[in-house]
Amino acid sequence: MQVLTTDIIVVGGGGAGLRAAIAAAQIRPDARISLLSKVYPMRSHTVAAEGGAAAVTLAEDSLDAHFQDTVAGSDWLADQLVVEHFVKAAYQELVQLEHWGCPWSRKADGSIQVRRFGGMKTERTWFAADKTGFHILHTLFQTSLQYPAIQRLDEFFVLDLLVSEQQVLGVLALQLNSGELFQILAPKVILATGGAGRLFHYNTNGGIVTGDGMALAYRHGVALRDMEFVQYHPTGLPGSGILITEAARGEGGILLNKDGYRYLQDYGLGPETPLGQPKNKYMELGPRDKLSQAFWQQQQAGLTGDYQGHAVVYLDLRHLGAQKLAERLPFICELSRSYVNIDPVQQPIPIRPAVHYTMGGILTDLHGETSISGLYAIGECASVGLHGANRLGSNSLTELLVFGKAAGEHAAQSLPPTNNSQPTAANIQAQSRQQQLASLFGAKQQHSVASLRKAMTLAMEQGCGIYRDDAGMQQCRSTLLELQQQLAKLKVSDHSKVFNSELIQYLELSFGLDVALTICESALARKESRGAHQRLDPGMTQRNDQDFLQHTLAYRAADGSVALRYQPVRITSLPPAARVYGAAAKQGA
Amino acid sequence: MPDSAGARRPYLQPLSRSWWLKHSFFLRYMLREATVLPLLFFCGCLLAGLYSLAQGESQYQSWLAFMAQPWVIALNALLLLASFYHAKTFFELFPRVMPLLPAPLMIAGQWLGTIAVALLLLWLFGAIG
Amino acid sequence: MEKTIIIQRYNPEQDQAPSAERYQVPFDHSTSVLDALLYIQQQLDPTLAFRWSCRMAICGSCGVMVNKIPKLGCKTFLRDYPAELTISALDHFPIEKDLISDMAVFLDHLQAVKPYLINDSKNTEPHRQTPAQLKKYQKFSSCINCGLCYAACPQFGLNPEFLGPAAIVTAQRYNLDSRDQGKAQRMPQLNGKNGVWACTFVGFCADVCPKHLDPAAAVNQGKVASATDMLISIFKP
Repeated sequence: MQVLTTDIIVVGGGGAGLRAAIAAAQIRPDARISLLSKVYPMRSHTVAAEGGAAAVTLAEDSLDAHFQDTVAGSDWLADQLVVEHFVKAAYQELVQLEHWGCPWSRKADGSIQVRRFGGMKTERTWFAADKTGFHILHTLFQTSLQYPAIQRLDEFFVLDLLVSEQQVLGVLALQLNSGELFQILAPKVILATGGAGRLFHYNTNGGIVTGDGMALAYRHGVALRDMEFVQYHPTGLPGSGILITEAARGEGGILLNKDGYRYLQDYGLGPETPLGQPKNKYMELGPRDKLSQAFWQQQQAGLTGDYQGHAVVYLDLRHLGAQKLAERLPFICELSRSYVNIDPVQQPIPIRPAVHYTMGGILTDLHGETSISGLYAIGECASVGLHGANRLGSNSLTELLVFGKAAGEHAAQSLPPTNNSQPTAANIQAQSRQQQLASLFGAKQQHSVASLRKAMTLAMEQGCGIYRDDAGMQQCRSTLLELQQQLAKLKVSDHSKVFNSELIQYLELSFGLDVALTICESALARKESRGAHQRLDPGMTQRNDQDFLQHTLAYRAADGSVALRYQPVRITSLPPAARVYGAAAKQGA
Repeated sequence: MPDSAGARRPYLQPLSRSWWLKHSFFLRYMLREATVLPLLFFCGCLLAGLYSLAQGESQYQSWLAFMAQPWVIALNALLLLASFYHAKTFFELFPRVMPLLPAPLMIAGQWLGTIAVALLLLWLFGAIG
Repeated sequence: MEKTIIIQRYNPEQDQAPSAERYQVPFDHSTSVLDALLYIQQQLDPTLAFRWSCRMAICGSCGVMVNKIPKLGCKTFLRDYPAELTISALDHFPIEKDLISDMAVFLDHLQAVKPYLINDSKNTEPHRQTPAQLKKYQKFSSCINCGLCYAACPQFGLNPEFLGPAAIVTAQRYNLDSRDQGKAQRMPQLNGKNGVWACTFVGFCADVCPKHLDPAAAVNQGKVASATDMLISIFKP
């Protein structure tokens, strides 16, 4: 197989990966930075993010306020040192993007326009119409084209990390258009592979969001932290799960049950705010986990509507008027018309919660480095400590930039002066993996990758959904273990070398089952309710800081099972308090 | 990007000469471009007219007789239609190239301008008024 | 209810040229071409290869020819077609396998027009840009790089050296951005024989663009800019 030597490998060409590559190229223009992605970078799922990126901007805002909103939003599981660092760095990152040409939406005087977002006390979300992720990604991708240090390897699928004695050596990758294997050796590897939303049946994610990088790190002994916290975005289209941005609510959209009632006021988010006058942290501008949980409650009470067999509530945007909708939410209008045949100007949009974001991920420090020297993780695949038990909307896009830059800079600055790659050690591992890969092929059988994958996503939706209970999670775990066994026996019947979809899906499912088990086991062990992890079991329906103000660390044990340890939460200036929104928050403010 | 010969064998279908027959959009495009042919014929007629005028009365009369022949009139009628088609497509494309005003306004404006100039010329040469 | 999907399959390791295979696919009023392809791959034939990701017409992965018209699979619905429809890989690009085309030439052309903001001011604050200034280029900044316009363009089909609609749209996007100072650096590519002047305003690209951003307009506005630029350079030494 071919062997390439480079200085920094970035796996994943989304917002975080591109930002890291650019940061590294700026510091070391003489270095070779290999950007690998299993898709062309502009297909990365950052492209689908809609709402915006948060940073303290207005005079009446403060770093303290952003800090407090984020920590409270995380239900106190965020690493407060990390949050402090994040809120300080946010503004300059968004300005940098503006300097690179990002078409941020503007006020009449030409200055940056900011909007309200869920769980944020003050308007601080920068946005580019309702396609912020799209514009950020394309700005970063196009900017990256001017750095010759960045060499892209498009449509390369990373099969494994090459690691020796807790030091990363490089990666083993498959070139999709030829089926050829490549050993790529480098002292620095930055994983920016995104989340794992596709493990669930209803999700807002693209097909590529399969948790690959999380599994890669996990298989080499790195901890996956806080995996039980999976965010359901309250407003996805029924069936497909296609995302309808939170910004729709930021602009004044309201949620109604089948009786036309604004039900959120019954769930600690009231009192009802006047139509067209949204108020931060009230009603539809509450945090995502609470809104999704309210949906589930309404569904139990039989108050949700029906759209083609799916339980739904309704996002009413009619009062915004055609002009404002066309100006602020044009993409949403198009999505609604195309995919559910509803014109938001005339009718409310049927929506339901869909899995959107994985708060948990690869454990890293402030620079993005993991427990393996030279191995970094950034963006949604990482758990740097920003989001805790629930992420606030518009913190994630800013996260890509802040920590993408941090990791890229750190990796570039700490490059060893001489090439001390270990080609022999790497080669031994690579040869072993190559043999394993060859053994995956065989004759067609009873099960297919697709059928096993469907079973996994249904099990996760059922057992690790918005509300969880012990019996459900146990069932989920045994289904996942069974699926792992079935997958191990499965053979890939497509033996082609060029764009072998079946092989890639097999590998993604293998990664996915590993990650799914860490989610399930972490959830089972957290015997409390916090943020996005809500349990129905008696005695576990409330937050229990006494026993569970700690992070869950999931490790791969020698026998392949999930071993759990715990890590205290780093609290600096905001001691744990009740997490309140609506009128209750006003009393305490 | 590293290239390995191996299993790749990209297939490129060369564009056939009859590509424009494949879709009505392309047919209309070729029709638009083809309006230049009757125009060429008309230019030829005009040049022949100028030339025969310079040659003298009898030459000029035979040119007039030529122009009065049914098939020449038919071709020039076709040209008139072709000019209208060309004008229509041109007026629609122009606002996209120079978006100075909303497109419907610019299209209407171009037609009005054309009609005004035509009327002016007809009046100048005594055909009307 | 079922429809017949005819797909031009191509396996470079076995086939000399693409050939048609037929599949029966169940559908309802919301079934997209992408849904149909996923059904075929998951239930009937796992060897079918095609690109896709977001399912919401923003990532640009799933471009294919549907009855010889370039479309995004995720935003094309079976309900709008008769009992049979034919799907093939995007025209004018080399086919790697089944519905997957080699997009390298697209990326090369995109890179050639210097598609990034060129401005060496060392500000620590954002530039000012009014909504009117933003509107000038905003439409052209919405290109999802799907390549449908290249599949539609007969000039690109005849001459792959032509920069093509999306690349020129992106160049225009930066040239029209009030914060950009790099127009002079982009003009040589745009003025050249494979730049804007290779376009004859067929305009089919604008018809097929899923974001309705009128690439034909961008290219032909580019001709005005190019002519102006060349005229000025005659008078400037």
